[in-house]
Amino acid sequence: MFMPKLNKLNALDISWIMLMLITLANALVAETADKSLFITAVICFSIAFKGRRIIDYFMELNHANKTIQLFMRGYFYVFPVLIFLADLFSEQIASITSL
Amino acid sequence: MVIKIINMQVDKLNSCGMSIAMDNVFHLNGCGQVRSEPETLNKIPGNRAVWVGIFAELTEFALFFLVYFIAKAHYPEQFNQGPLQLNTLAGTLNTFALISSSYFVAKSLASIRLNQPEQSIKWLWRAVMCGGIYLIIKVWEYHWNVDQGIKTNTNEFYTLYYYMTFNHLLHVGWASGSLVWAIFQIKSGRYTQKNHLGLTAIACYWHMVDLAWVIIFPLLYVLR
Repeated sequence: MFMPKLNKLNALDISWIMLMLITLANALVAETADKSLFITAVICFSIAFKGRRIIDYFMELNHANKTIQLFMRGYFYVFPVLIFLADLFSEQIASITSL
Repeated sequence: MVIKIINMQVDKLNSCGMSIAMDNVFHLNGCGQVRSEPETLNKIPGNRAVWVGIFAELTEFALFFLVYFIAKAHYPEQFNQGPLQLNTLAGTLNTFALISSSYFVAKSLASIRLNQPEQSIKWLWRAVMCGGIYLIIKVWEYHWNVDQGIKTNTNEFYTLYYYMTFNHLLHVGWASGSLVWAIFQIKSGRYTQKNHLGLTAIACYWHMVDLAWVIIFPLLYVLR
């Protein structure tokens, strides 16, 4: 398996390593942590961070067309927030979506 | 007129905070640097058509996520217990495979800009291999699920799980096919250092598939 040389790491290599480590941490949370709003907040933050990293460095949108950049970054701000809010207001969501 | 346009481009680049040497060298996110402007700089990466596709796909996944929120609110116990029964190892390995494949695709793009088509092809094959690993793991996971008694109609959580993951699997399948197509385009000399917008478009689509999984993985395997 390919491994980048430690003394020649660039933005792509660093992003890859960070994303792998965050995924590992997420898996650890999945196996060990109990349900709590704090854990949900941490996971939401990790989603936003991973998304931003992929959008900016892998997709190279950090210097690209501003509209595309705005929509893509926005997607990864809005959905982590929605995940947290859906957890926080689950009873209200259930009541307003009941037929 | 030409000088004016060049000055405008340099101003644009300076406003982006890109490091520009005196001889107009552009440093890439990946390794190395190129003398001509990377096609993503202040532009639509790839082409407009692929971005219409990307936003359409992301809208589709957004609808899945909204359905997930509503279903979770109505069936909290199922969504609390559901992730505990799933194979976290399979989900984690698939995340590793997709993140690595995205990284390899980005490396491939950097290589073609540096006029290293052979290197670019090697990176793309690694990405295709990761796509294949993802598909193999997914098939294994589905078999494992069935052995555990987890089927599409077991409960609402698993119905949504199968719907979202199978839909995503299809995207990985055809996106892997597009990577193979890009490899043959490079081999035949159609994608070169000067003309590789098609590869950039394919790369953007592949990253979108990875991005969708970045949300799906915690929703189905981690959060309760």
